[in-house]
Amino acid sequence: MMEIHKDIEIVDLFLHLKRFNSLVIGDVHIGYEEALNKQGILIPRFQFKDTLKRFEKAVKGKKFDSIILLGDVKHEFGTISETEWRNTLQFIDTLSEYTKKIYLIKGNHDKVLEPIAEKRNLEVVDNVKLDDIFLLHGHIIPEENEDYKKAKIIIIGHEHPAISITDNLKTETYKCFIKGKFKGKILIVVPSFNLVTQGTDISKEDLLSPFLDQNLDNFEVFIVEDKIYNFGKIKNLRGK
Amino acid sequence: MISYKTKEDKEEEIFELLNPIVRDWFRQKFKTFSPPQKFAITEIHSRQNVLVSAPTGTGKTLCLFLSILNELIDSSQKGILQNKIYAVYTSPLKSLNSDISLNLKGPLEEMEKIARKKFGIRISVRTGDTTTAERQKMLKTPPHILITTPESLSILLASPKFKDHLKNVDFGIIDEVHSLAENKRGTQLSLAFERLQYLSLGMARIGASATIEPLEEIAKFVAGSKRDCKIINTPLIKQLDLKVLSPSSDLIEEPFGLMHQKMYELLDGLIQKHKTTLIFTNTRSATERVVHHLKDKFPKNYTENIGAHHGSLSKEHRLDIEKRMRDGKMKCVVSSTSLELGLDIGYIDLVILLGSPKSVARFVQRIGRSCHQLNATIKGRVIVLDRDDLIECSVMAKNALENKIDKIHIPKNSLDVLAQEIYGMANQQIWEEKELFKLIKNSYCYEDLSKKDFDDVLSYLDGSYTSLEDRHVYAKIWRNEGKIGKKGKLSRVIYMTNIGTIPDETAVTVKIGERKIGYIEEAFLERLKRNDLFVLGGQVYQFLFARGMVAQVQASPGRPPTVPAWFSEMLPLSFDLANDIGKFRRLIEQKFENKKSKDEMIDFISEYLYTNRQTSTAIYNYMKEQYDYCKHIPNDKKILIEQFKDERGNKKIIFHTMFGRRVNDCLSRAVAFAISRLEHKDVEIGINDNGFYISSSKPINALRALQALKSKELRKILEQAIEKTEIFRRRFRHCATRSLMILRQYKGRKKRVGRQQVSSMILMSALKRISDDFSILKEAKREVLEDLMDVDHTIDILKNIEDGKIELKAIFTEIPSPFSFNLILQAHLDVLKIEDKIEFLKRMHSQVLAKISLNK
Repeated sequence: MMEIHKDIEIVDLFLHLKRFNSLVIGDVHIGYEEALNKQGILIPRFQFKDTLKRFEKAVKGKKFDSIILLGDVKHEFGTISETEWRNTLQFIDTLSEYTKKIYLIKGNHDKVLEPIAEKRNLEVVDNVKLDDIFLLHGHIIPEENEDYKKAKIIIIGHEHPAISITDNLKTETYKCFIKGKFKGKILIVVPSFNLVTQGTDISKEDLLSPFLDQNLDNFEVFIVEDKIYNFGKIKNLRGK
Repeated sequence: MISYKTKEDKEEEIFELLNPIVRDWFRQKFKTFSPPQKFAITEIHSRQNVLVSAPTGTGKTLCLFLSILNELIDSSQKGILQNKIYAVYTSPLKSLNSDISLNLKGPLEEMEKIARKKFGIRISVRTGDTTTAERQKMLKTPPHILITTPESLSILLASPKFKDHLKNVDFGIIDEVHSLAENKRGTQLSLAFERLQYLSLGMARIGASATIEPLEEIAKFVAGSKRDCKIINTPLIKQLDLKVLSPSSDLIEEPFGLMHQKMYELLDGLIQKHKTTLIFTNTRSATERVVHHLKDKFPKNYTENIGAHHGSLSKEHRLDIEKRMRDGKMKCVVSSTSLELGLDIGYIDLVILLGSPKSVARFVQRIGRSCHQLNATIKGRVIVLDRDDLIECSVMAKNALENKIDKIHIPKNSLDVLAQEIYGMANQQIWEEKELFKLIKNSYCYEDLSKKDFDDVLSYLDGSYTSLEDRHVYAKIWRNEGKIGKKGKLSRVIYMTNIGTIPDETAVTVKIGERKIGYIEEAFLERLKRNDLFVLGGQVYQFLFARGMVAQVQASPGRPPTVPAWFSEMLPLSFDLANDIGKFRRLIEQKFENKKSKDEMIDFISEYLYTNRQTSTAIYNYMKEQYDYCKHIPNDKKILIEQFKDERGNKKIIFHTMFGRRVNDCLSRAVAFAISRLEHKDVEIGINDNGFYISSSKPINALRALQALKSKELRKILEQAIEKTEIFRRRFRHCATRSLMILRQYKGRKKRVGRQQVSSMILMSALKRISDDFSILKEAKREVLEDLMDVDHTIDILKNIEDGKIELKAIFTEIPSPFSFNLILQAHLDVLKIEDKIEFLKRMHSQVLAKISLNK
């Protein structure tokens, strides 16, 4: 565990908002392997089992006032397969064992999330406001939203941040949280909870989120592996 | 039984076999039979399996086809010509197929004129380019001679209707065997031929190859492992006029720019003195560069009369160049490998090789493109730019003159190709597993296939490695009571659209905004960080970011690059040739030890290598520098191990192992693995054909590491050592696509290479969780160790070290010895990763922390 900001703690790949005892989970992309199967890539499926295992290990023995899913719970855009349907429900049921309140924030992959949400009596929302914290998926900036305007801390998913570390001999990529500023507000980006891929390498790839359409040199990097490693500012990771 | 035919047949005997029309035509057209024709025609006539190894330009097409045409014409005359395919001809090149078709139709027409009637003999080409209408026509009325490629043949065999036409074939011809046998396309063809033979039991097999070794293995490749085959070997009988040239008499002191200028002057001089010159380079990009610079430096000499010809260029462009060559309109054509094969390109009076072709066989093949006529002189020039190349090419020319050809390696037991072909066979019919296994083992490429590997491939194909509920997604075949068959409605379409063994290109486009600068390899992109400076096409660029298969950069002229140049999978020096270079070095070292005079030694070199005095002197000077420096010339029986500190204070240990890159790839990784395991740290290695180095910031005992390597354990060590390398990852992707675990084309959509690579990494970690021995993982390891590298010869080398037949000599130097220069400058870099991901992260974290506290 490590604080990324006052009262906001990193717990494995998740954020714990201490003031609200709320757990924040990034993009899960349930059905990622199945989608690859449909494209003719015959990857055997481990994702869903691994996801449940990792989650339970990280939060064992805890209870939360709420759990917030930052969007893209499932992977497929337009359709929903039977396995995806079943796994998504099972995932939500597992979360329910740790909380009474689940917020499902709508992501850009979540076009048909509503039927699943209805099945478990959950509401799909565009964003969540907890005092001065504003949580959303992050594919668009809600310029007109009053809560957003007033918020001091923005928490998004969507980008799947990861970073490659190199010593000029070898390069490895790790999932990471990044924290910086966006128009005077604190911006925290949560890594994906998709265990099949690391995510987008923020040190070299072109980024998607409009929140990250800026110079990231002064963003801080927190890598998640066996524990949390604070690597300081991104610019420190550039060549020697 | 494999046997050699050593006596040619008498001309009268051959003529006697021929139908009078064919005989008259041949007599009018040619005076006499060419050497391979004298051996082969009667054998093919009596349906023996044969392998004809002969240089291009020796009447090979007629050698293969005269007996067949004769039989067809004879049948036609007698009115017994059947509506069936008599002969299936396969070659690796579509353009060669069109050539062959024309070269058969021409003589047929001429003979029809003599006979004053039509024979009604049909010849058709069937490749990926064949239109649906033509396909339909072939299905209705099969050609008598079918000309095709390995891939199209496999598809035809799986075609429910067309396969009936393949049930009574008399002759199966494999052309350009030398370019197929050493790669997986050949493996696939060998299985396709077994499938064909299964349908046409009595089919005779005919293989045709350029000069190649080992002939007996190649003969088995053509005929299948247990069948008879007669080898007809008619080596080069032309006069060879070969010279190794360098642009400057001083290959060390001449500045690069001047050397460059002199090289083009030399090229231009040679081209202007000849009618048509064919230049070979070793890479496609070099091909373009040479054309560009010749035009640029000598605009009056080169306009429309020069052109490039290589595989990345469009078909139209290539056909145009070929036509203009035949019409005699080209002064100069520059090619990489595409013109090595037997395409008809008209009159060439000079072949120039830029840089070493790395094997005697390829050397002979390339220079053999000059003077496409019997009994004329072959004229070839090799231009070398450094002293290692000078020696290498001189030994190569010696071997060519003495007709000493290096041996190729034929891949064995490739499980990925096996998976693909079994899938194809399942689409052909239902099989007994036992029968299938027997059929596969008839192929030379699978003669040693174990039952276990066969079963593993079947259980991959039937999806039984996944849980029962998911299995329907993964199963490609069904298995029941010892039988197998195809599964799924899309089965045949998937097979047809994904067949093949050649991996997709991995080029990433480099752009400034929308402007295309060039291409880099995907693996190179993986190494780049934002703001890194790298060289492309002689210019320095700064890397900004990547999006899919496009890398955005900006020009940064004048700044030094921060990332070393990347050498892709270059042609490796053949093991046999490397040994001969080692032997030459040993003879020279002995002469130094025996204090022979300079003149004596230069005379010896001139006599041994057939070089002129100037070249011999240059070689002598290089050897002398090395000997004077450290009293050792590393050779085939002596490995020199040289330790020094580089400018960064890192220890570099250079191993002078003159065994070619495929062996050095193995040796270097095994030694580095042993060292890194002891020290528990990543080690940098550099490899080339003449040796390798290992670099580390800590002191290391390299001699001990090499001595500790045991031949018995080598394979196991290497399997671990390669596991985390870039090359293994890439080869795994190739194997996964060949095994159809990653479909390149699925439901009408084509996957980009980048997508394939990302998916293959996910796939690899998933398969490792199932078993480290999963057939595709196993195949990727085998391919890297046996085909790309050369684990078998490396084991031989280690045995020789263990038995004291190869001596190890360790020395310390202040600055590297002369033989080390090129190795340090040009080595292909790799890193042996030993730290796991978390350990690496911890080390980097403490470094960053230290840096942050310093900055404060």
